[in-house]
Amino acid sequence: MRAKSFLAALTFSLAGALVAQDTVEAPQLSKTHNYIKLLAQEAALPSLRGQEKFILRESWWSGNLAPGKAKLIQLQLFRRNSYQFWIAVPNRKAEPLINVYDSSGNLVSSEAITFDTGNLVSTVIQPEETGVYYLRVSLKTTVEDAQDWAVIYAYR
Amino acid sequence: MNRISLFCAISLIGVTGAFSQDAPAKINLDDPNLVFVSDSVIPIPLEIFASLDKLGAQDWGRQVESRDLRVDTNRSRTAMLFGLVVSEGFIGVQAQDKESVRRLGRDVLALAKSLGVAEEVEVHANAIVNGAGRGEWEMVRSELDKTRQTVINKMKELRDDELVALVSLGGWLGGTEALASVLRDNYSEEGSDLLNQPDLIKQLKTDFNELPQRARRGNLFTQVSMTLEHLESLMRSDESGAISEGKVIEISLATRNLVEAIYES
Repeated sequence: MRAKSFLAALTFSLAGALVAQDTVEAPQLSKTHNYIKLLAQEAALPSLRGQEKFILRESWWSGNLAPGKAKLIQLQLFRRNSYQFWIAVPNRKAEPLINVYDSSGNLVSSEAITFDTGNLVSTVIQPEETGVYYLRVSLKTTVEDAQDWAVIYAYR
Repeated sequence: MNRISLFCAISLIGVTGAFSQDAPAKINLDDPNLVFVSDSVIPIPLEIFASLDKLGAQDWGRQVESRDLRVDTNRSRTAMLFGLVVSEGFIGVQAQDKESVRRLGRDVLALAKSLGVAEEVEVHANAIVNGAGRGEWEMVRSELDKTRQTVINKMKELRDDELVALVSLGGWLGGTEALASVLRDNYSEEGSDLLNQPDLIKQLKTDFNELPQRARRGNLFTQVSMTLEHLESLMRSDESGAISEGKVIEISLATRNLVEAIYES
């Protein structure tokens, strides 16, 4: 029931954001990012339900990615927890990537989750050690335009 | 294209394990061409407690403190207190202590008023107080996280970046004090690894040292600086991946002393 209400509120908020975008010639960056964040949150909903649900953090990251470039986000993670990350971009052909590296720069084994739209992807990891990790966000294919992006995360 | 229908049509289509084919197996973190996102996110106490609870039930009720809140005109201290109070709210949620969380919800609002962000925080503070009264812990947890994030967002909007750093530092300190205290009372090598946070504390220390002098003037902030320096040497695991019981006790004492100094200064 609560999830349905949340989805309804989310859809309502998105509708508002889209109307705002359509009526403003040069939308503010933060509005675009908020819209993209909503996409990521919508994709996250199934993971936030049920017995083994993840708990979504309010903190999130955003920015702009040029084709072929990557950015790193530093984050402290704790052993025995699982973490799920979602990245969203506006262009459905952009195919964003999100990968996790340990403090030595080694790629961490993860479970990649794909959606039926090419502008979203998610990954789940279970850190083997407590420490700092790096999320590497990038675009898989060469799209013409740089993409605004948003990353959210949850733990359990 | 109907963008609303695009939004509503998202569904999961695949799960693939192990390593991504499209990512380098190793990156050189010293590469000067790497671009780092500057926003640092500090873990909330519940995120750390979730890991510790997987080793067995802990007595979180013992970590709930009832400290008197005194608000003054020192905005740097108020920002740290704000972070501390929110983290104590998380501890209250973990202990499911209705009265302490209700009290902390009211303290959050008092501090938000002093920081000039009461309007943004009021709805969350009321939800915390009411939710705690009804024992709706999931909702209270979410509202505490929203409160913290709302204040940080507002501070950024107001270009009060120094206060953002101090809210984060206060939040981290409160969570670390509770974690170290639980581990001190019920030490296990396995659980001690949660205090292995050398890079995080280095980041916090850097953020603190980069604050303008006016934001960290006075004895309290000298103590903050010294404590961070001390903790940096303690919060590092040994070869076995653990932090010794002696170091856990030291971390507990150092964080407790600093928390009390912030409340009492």
